[in-house]
Amino acid sequence: MLSNTLKNLIIVLGIGIGSLLLMSCGEQKAELATRAEAEEAHHDEAEEAHVEAVTLSPEVMEEFGIEVGTAGPGKVEIHLDLTGEIKIDPDRLAHIIPRFPGIVKEVRKKIGDEVKKGEVLAVIESNESLAPYEVKSLIDGVIIEMHLTRGEVINDNTHAFIVADLSYVWADLTVYQKDLPRVKIGQKAIISASPAPVTAEGRISYISPVVDEATRTAIARVVLPNYDRQWLPGMFITAKVIVDVINAPVVVPKTAIETYEDQTVVFVKTAEGFVPRPVELGRENDLYVEVLSGLEPGEAYVTKGGFTLKAELMKEAFSGGHGH
Amino acid sequence: MKGIINFVLRNRLLMLVLGVLILAGGFYSYKQLPIDAFPDVSPSLVQVFTVTEGLAPEEIEKYVTFPVEVAMNGLPNLERIRSVSNFGLSVVNVYFKDGTDIYFARQLVNERLQEAREQIPEGFGDPQMGPISTGMGLVLFYYLEDTTGQYSLTELRTIQDWLIKYQLQTVPGVTEVLGIGGWEKQYHVVLDQNALLRYDVTVNEVIEKIKANNLNVGAQFIEKNSEEFIVRSVGLASSIEDLENIVIKSDDGTPIYLKQLADIKIGGAIRRGVQTRNGVEEVVAGMVIKLYGTNSSTVIGRVEEKLKEINKILPPGVRIVPYYQQKTLVEAAVNTVTSALLQGIMLVVFILMIFMGSIRPSLVVAISIPFSILFAIVGMKYFGISINLMSFGGLAIAIGMMVDGTIVMVENVDRMLRQSGRDEPLIHVVARACREVARPILFAISIIIVVFLPLFTLHGVEGKTFRPLAYTVALAMLGSLIFAMFLAPVLSSLLMRRPKETDNPKTSTNIWLVRKLQKAYRPIITFFVKRRLLAVALAVVLMLIGAIVFPQLGSEFTPTLQEGTIVLRLTMAPSISLKESTRITQIVERRVMKIPEVTGVVTRIGRGEVGAHTDPINSAEMYILLKPREEWRTAKTQQELENVIRKEVGEIPGVLANFTQPIQMTVDELLEGVRAELAIKLFGDDLEVLKEKADEIAKVISEIPGAADVQADQITGTPQLLIKVDRHAIARYGINVEDVQQVIRAAVGGETAGQIFEGVRRFDILVRFAPEFRSTPKAIGEILIEAPNGIHVPLSQLATIEEIVGPRQITRENSQRFITIQCNVVGRDIGSFVEEGQKAIAEKVDLPPGYMVTWGGQFRLQQEANKRLMVVIPITLLIVFLLLFSSFNSLKNSFLILLNIPLALVGGVVALWISGQNLSVPSSVGFIALFGIALENGMVLVTYLNQLLKDGVPMDEASVQGAMLRLRPVLMTAITTALGLIPLLLSHGVGSEVQRPLATVVIGGLITSTLLTLLVIPAIYKWFAINIESERQLD
Repeated sequence: MLSNTLKNLIIVLGIGIGSLLLMSCGEQKAELATRAEAEEAHHDEAEEAHVEAVTLSPEVMEEFGIEVGTAGPGKVEIHLDLTGEIKIDPDRLAHIIPRFPGIVKEVRKKIGDEVKKGEVLAVIESNESLAPYEVKSLIDGVIIEMHLTRGEVINDNTHAFIVADLSYVWADLTVYQKDLPRVKIGQKAIISASPAPVTAEGRISYISPVVDEATRTAIARVVLPNYDRQWLPGMFITAKVIVDVINAPVVVPKTAIETYEDQTVVFVKTAEGFVPRPVELGRENDLYVEVLSGLEPGEAYVTKGGFTLKAELMKEAFSGGHGH
Repeated sequence: MKGIINFVLRNRLLMLVLGVLILAGGFYSYKQLPIDAFPDVSPSLVQVFTVTEGLAPEEIEKYVTFPVEVAMNGLPNLERIRSVSNFGLSVVNVYFKDGTDIYFARQLVNERLQEAREQIPEGFGDPQMGPISTGMGLVLFYYLEDTTGQYSLTELRTIQDWLIKYQLQTVPGVTEVLGIGGWEKQYHVVLDQNALLRYDVTVNEVIEKIKANNLNVGAQFIEKNSEEFIVRSVGLASSIEDLENIVIKSDDGTPIYLKQLADIKIGGAIRRGVQTRNGVEEVVAGMVIKLYGTNSSTVIGRVEEKLKEINKILPPGVRIVPYYQQKTLVEAAVNTVTSALLQGIMLVVFILMIFMGSIRPSLVVAISIPFSILFAIVGMKYFGISINLMSFGGLAIAIGMMVDGTIVMVENVDRMLRQSGRDEPLIHVVARACREVARPILFAISIIIVVFLPLFTLHGVEGKTFRPLAYTVALAMLGSLIFAMFLAPVLSSLLMRRPKETDNPKTSTNIWLVRKLQKAYRPIITFFVKRRLLAVALAVVLMLIGAIVFPQLGSEFTPTLQEGTIVLRLTMAPSISLKESTRITQIVERRVMKIPEVTGVVTRIGRGEVGAHTDPINSAEMYILLKPREEWRTAKTQQELENVIRKEVGEIPGVLANFTQPIQMTVDELLEGVRAELAIKLFGDDLEVLKEKADEIAKVISEIPGAADVQADQITGTPQLLIKVDRHAIARYGINVEDVQQVIRAAVGGETAGQIFEGVRRFDILVRFAPEFRSTPKAIGEILIEAPNGIHVPLSQLATIEEIVGPRQITRENSQRFITIQCNVVGRDIGSFVEEGQKAIAEKVDLPPGYMVTWGGQFRLQQEANKRLMVVIPITLLIVFLLLFSSFNSLKNSFLILLNIPLALVGGVVALWISGQNLSVPSSVGFIALFGIALENGMVLVTYLNQLLKDGVPMDEASVQGAMLRLRPVLMTAITTALGLIPLLLSHGVGSEVQRPLATVVIGGLITSTLLTLLVIPAIYKWFAINIESERQLD
């Protein structure tokens, strides 16, 4: 009887344990026969992936817009953007003042008129001599100011006319303190007045020796020829000052530069594929940058679309080299 | 028992009326039940979104996420808080315990949000709760098709946001409609920095002036000749011209207009998402989100109706084209189970006909199917269970079982009728036959119901998935019990007839099939009864096979439900720009379009309006639209097609691609925040260390065989342009940090300066520098800041500007930062993979103190399920044993019957192994069902053997005779159960993946357990026989 009960008990336990095992899916598993081999294969793959080269077929490169160029010399113009305004050259300005006080008898010119040197601008009857005398222009130029009306009594200390010779004007550019070291006399400047499409080229001929105490800015001046009068004094202008021109052995477009693993790199085409090559960059402008080291002239490198290559490398890094 | 049967037979009319009432009730309930594709497994979750345009993840975490998290701590029923701080967006997921009422939870969160709002600095966004919906709420996606080609993306988006959205939101059951793609219309004031300098105006002055010149006021009313005139003053800018003519300042009476300082034009808002189509165009799209707890099929139906209406009022040439609808899935899933149900019914009826050899008894049995199903549906209505893959799947599984009780009863009636004397009234024979089997039937069916008990105790996802199934099976079995007890005797007495005189009245052998079977069976059973040890050996051999096969099986949680919609998810480099990710996505789209089965591709990149998706712009989800399955040529199944697509898409440089499905994707994300089977979480404080160690872990994991799609979260890798204000420099000019930052914000990022109203539509006015003054670090350095004394200083003189790489997103759980490494497991079971992975990490990765690893994902759910089953299954076995014992009053009998279980399990295991399936929750459910079914057969047989013994038949003879007599009912119940499942086994429809392992296990187990019942039990019965003497004394 006892042995019978014992037998039954064992059976129950067997059933119970058997079912429990079934429910606890996957507690024990048989080793896969091929696991060791598979692991080895994986290791090999992982090591290969560590070379960090990306190979792409020409079709894929075209599909993704990846372009390759050859490293070579180039000229990089480095410029500084400045703002400023057009001013009249004080040397080309004439203040015309009546010699004697008197009554304006005749006004021959009006504001904006072109006048020649010696041309009569007005006739004034002197208070002292009661004789009319002519007021003449001192220079060739344009009347930009006029302060007399016929019949008016005018003093000998009044600016009757201001005549400006606008054939040359000054472009005074505001230079902020931080840019001062880079701006030099003789540098080329491309000056434009927006929105009118007026541009001119000139060279910096003067830099103010002192910095304005209030604005903390200095002035760089370009004298602009203005025969066709396109530069109107008072105009707000912007200038691109070429502060440096480098002729470097290797110059690449900025689209070629990528940041990969905290390094600045250019993707170079090698026999294994595209490899990120750390480079040292020199001076740059908006479009181009000088490569100081890391890229030799004649090497093929990716000029555009390097991001895709970088992303591919990063992908391999985080998926451990196992693609799909 | 006797009392019940007698009562039932005495009140036949009452029973019939009650039966008809239940049928009617079931039919009525069926019409009322909501229909869904799957049971909704989404957690009780309230999401809090805060949009802070332009803020980096670190600032979002500090200023927004943290205050929200802190406010949510300590809520009742709170389970955990998880947050993601992204660029410009903070998402805090507040998880509540399962079963928490979602409206209650939202109310709690809303109260605390008030506190959080106070803690978030002004201008850093306003936290909002997500839509009242769940992971299954995204019921319909559509895009706008413009056949005329004359509408810009901005115009289309305006149509979406101001016409379609509001129309759709009026549909009952729709909680939210979110737009994405195209451009949100804005009025852009594009400032020329040089002009600002020229006229000496600052950005802030411009913003102030625009705000001050754009408003309407009301001024009560005036009285005029007994009438009231309402006074209103209209000064709202309503057009570009109005904006242009705002006077910013006046110099000596000369006004300076805004147009002199800026270009004013209509433009698109800054966007963090794009929707593309077919690799050729950008489109505007929308997502319809269903309200929590509403009926998917009705909501989708109403939305479709509404879409038709909206299409009519859209401008000519513009049309709404739905590209993803859950309806198709709902229909497909319900179709799968309904057709399995119908086929099952037909097969079962067919088997009945063959075995009963006559229509009448078959009819009685067949009626039990609709009765049980409709009874179950009444119950579903009562418990609030929707019609879905799992609940109807439960019915499909139960078909074969629901007839069992009635089969046994009717078979006994049939047999007795054949044996009974001519003069005995039919109703007496019926009563006698029913009384004989009523008790074992009651216990057998009760046991089946009881063995489903463990499923009711499941929690979380597995609980939500399988509880509906457990409910419907239990309900249907209860229905079948009621039928067998109360209606089968009545119907038998009404429908069944005595066999005609010409037949052999003694036995049921006049049925051809049964005769043949018995003829074949007799020598075998006699053989085994004589050589009992051989029978034991047979059982042992079977057990051994099971023991050998079992370890070969893999395990998984739940086989993936094929939703019929393929989504290809692309993950690109974290630093990618939206423009580039759009370009690459379109390249991939074009590749996918080359596959003949693909009719279209619609991709969402990043996120649109906040509420449903929070993906960053380097993530794209590509919906691949397919031809109907009949037209497929390169592939037959979804799996195959995925392989075709994988091949065609190939290696995409710089892009990780993996397949997922819409609901799976959303639900997975809600559950764990990750969308892979396995999520390894590394907790710690320092983002740099986290990233480094996570990468190490990812590397270790990816070397384990079976690892696929291993991916460490990309928490870093977003380049930042860091502008650090130099406090000494600003001090020299008397400028405040805020002055500098305000200009940076407005000039570079843009600042909203009010809105333009077009009717009720309102569009932001965005003031921002022209691109040439803000789009390069150099240009930003040249931005001028005005000092109090009126002079202008370039930014680079006041601050350092550097490019660094910063975090992309910061994820936190329960207020601790963590990083996730996700991984799928291919070709092996997750259980063993995790084991190996845990070992590998412990060995190879050296974690600093304060850093720890946890494993989540589907794996975690499986572990939880196992743990609970470990407790519940023994309890269930105990209950089953008690039931058996109270049925037989004999320990030995009970053990004999329990012996069925291991042998049934063997069949299930072998069947899984042969069909190459894994152990999973559905197959476990199959094993559970098997318990009950296996016991039932044994009970019927043992009862009869006991009966024969009591009647004084010698042991050996009783064994053989009993087995022979019970051959028909045992085979019938086994075959009907198995055949009822065959449609599920063979189905390839949506959802069949979940039902198949279950059906496999039950069918396999039935084969071995029937073998046991028929061959082994009669043979070894002798050892377990009841003590006749003591029984007699008792009687």
